[in-house]
Amino acid sequence: MIEIYHLYHQYGDEMVALRDINLVIDRGEFVFIVGASGAGKSTLLKLFLREVRPSRGHIKIFGRDLARLKNREIPYLRRNIGMVFQDFRLLQDRNVYENVAFSMRVTGAPVREIRKRVPLTLELVGLKDKAFKRPDELSGGEQQRVCVARAIINRPAMVIADEPTGNLDPVTAMEILNLLQEINIRGTTVIVATHARELVDRLQKRVILLDQGRIISDQERGVYLNAR
Amino acid sequence: MHVRSLLFFFGEALKNIVRHGWMSIASIAVVSITLLILGSFMVVNYNVSLLTEDIKEQVQIVVYIDEKAGEGIRSQLQRALVTHPELEEVRYISKEEAMERLKRQMGDRAFLLEGYEEKDKNPLRDSYELRTRVPEDIPRVAREIMELPGVGYVDYGSGIVEPLFQFTGVVRWIGFAFMVGLALTAVFLISHTIRLTVFIRRKEIMIMKYVGATDWFIRWPFIFEGLILGLVGAVVPLVIIFYSYGAAHRWVQGNIFFLSLIPVEEIMEELIRVLAFLGITLGVLGSAISVRRFLKV
Ligand SMILES: Nc1ncnc2c1ncn2[C@@H]1O[C@H](COP(=O)(O)OP(=O)(O)OP(=O)(O)O)[C@@H](O)[C@H]1O
Ligand SMILES: [Mg+2]
Repeated sequence: MIEIYHLYHQYGDEMVALRDINLVIDRGEFVFIVGASGAGKSTLLKLFLREVRPSRGHIKIFGRDLARLKNREIPYLRRNIGMVFQDFRLLQDRNVYENVAFSMRVTGAPVREIRKRVPLTLELVGLKDKAFKRPDELSGGEQQRVCVARAIINRPAMVIADEPTGNLDPVTAMEILNLLQEINIRGTTVIVATHARELVDRLQKRVILLDQGRIISDQERGVYLNAR
Repeated sequence: MHVRSLLFFFGEALKNIVRHGWMSIASIAVVSITLLILGSFMVVNYNVSLLTEDIKEQVQIVVYIDEKAGEGIRSQLQRALVTHPELEEVRYISKEEAMERLKRQMGDRAFLLEGYEEKDKNPLRDSYELRTRVPEDIPRVAREIMELPGVGYVDYGSGIVEPLFQFTGVVRWIGFAFMVGLALTAVFLISHTIRLTVFIRRKEIMIMKYVGATDWFIRWPFIFEGLILGLVGAVVPLVIIFYSYGAAHRWVQGNIFFLSLIPVEEIMEELIRVLAFLGITLGVLGSAISVRRFLKV
């Protein structure tokens, strides 16, 4: 699903954010990416979305070499990757239903299909009753559920979450991770960048540790190690 | 584009206009105010040009033939005038015709001319009335003709014509400069206002890009929005000018008889064309250019 070989990423002239990354993630995996602040986690996720281009090396997603991806193909790549953000990034002036439907509208999905699928997805994330509330009327955990619903509504092959629990209390954070796990069990690849050591330790998934832009450990059923 | 997506984009544009009501009103106000100033100026300018065209039409060169000139010189002069490349109209007025005309002009008091009608007592002279192709050429052409043999003297209202032409020339240039200046100001203000509305929504654009919207999917609602705002922004000044110019026109007709203004319908036709075109173009271009900056995610 994701294949990365000798990948480097450099911001500007000197800031090397990623160095010699080699990584394969298979279909259906659940992967944590951990590491200190500034280790390069977000940068790695941005590469998956082709938000930034690698400075050197190769990255293939769904069998496509991202270096060869044309600009106008990027939207179609992103429709196959659901994104969940630490700060939710919901449209404040639209209700929950509209925020989730938005993701389908963008793909030109027929209205009939949208009417059918949005309620089902809201039910899946446990927000059936909040469909017509606006984001500022929801708790942080509920907003993050909206964000997850939006990420999965197009049935992407992969969901990527950058610090999805960063703004949530531990109990709510666990709920969101359980939700992501559920999505993973249904067959979607899930990649989560996080600092939340307890949650990582509890879930016993694959853990990739970054330090200063390098992968320094990659364990199946791992725990959160400290760098060095 | 499918009709369905067209309707969708149009609906999105309308929703966005309502959702960002204050910003929409600000954009419409900026478009309306600049186009109102521009439109009013156009109205004044058109009327001034009509007026000066009117006056220019009436200006002509009158060449009085030297009484001592013989047949040979007279026909030579005739030929020179008729073949003159810059003259559009050459009309011979014999002194008898001139006398008839004078009598008509004097109307009731024509009896004063009695006794001057007989051929050898007629104090008037044979003359040519000339119009140049370009009114502004009159002073120069008149001076040239003055040199021709057989010419007694030439009258072209020199003291009036030259300052008038200078004045209308200056007015026209100032008007033109003003209109260009206003149009540029309008472009500047409108593109800034629209850029601000787009800037406020950059987060929305970013989210659209993250969920896989194509650039055109993002752009179309903004373009429709610019179109609607520009059009509404043009309609407001058109309505204002229609009523206020209509009122001014009626007042002038009722009170200042010699001043003939351009009819309301005629001037509105021109204004609708120019203002609607400017409004729509500015709106569409403004939003298309502004949204471009935020599409690079
Ligand atoms: N747009 C940018 N321009 C320049 N440098 C950047 C940019 N984005 C990130 N960096 C730098 O690249 C390095 C890696 O940043 P990145 O955001 O990937 O870290 P991170 O692991 O996500 O950190 P955090 O846990 O704080 O989110 C950091 O040193 C950061 O300062
Ligand atoms: Mg980060």
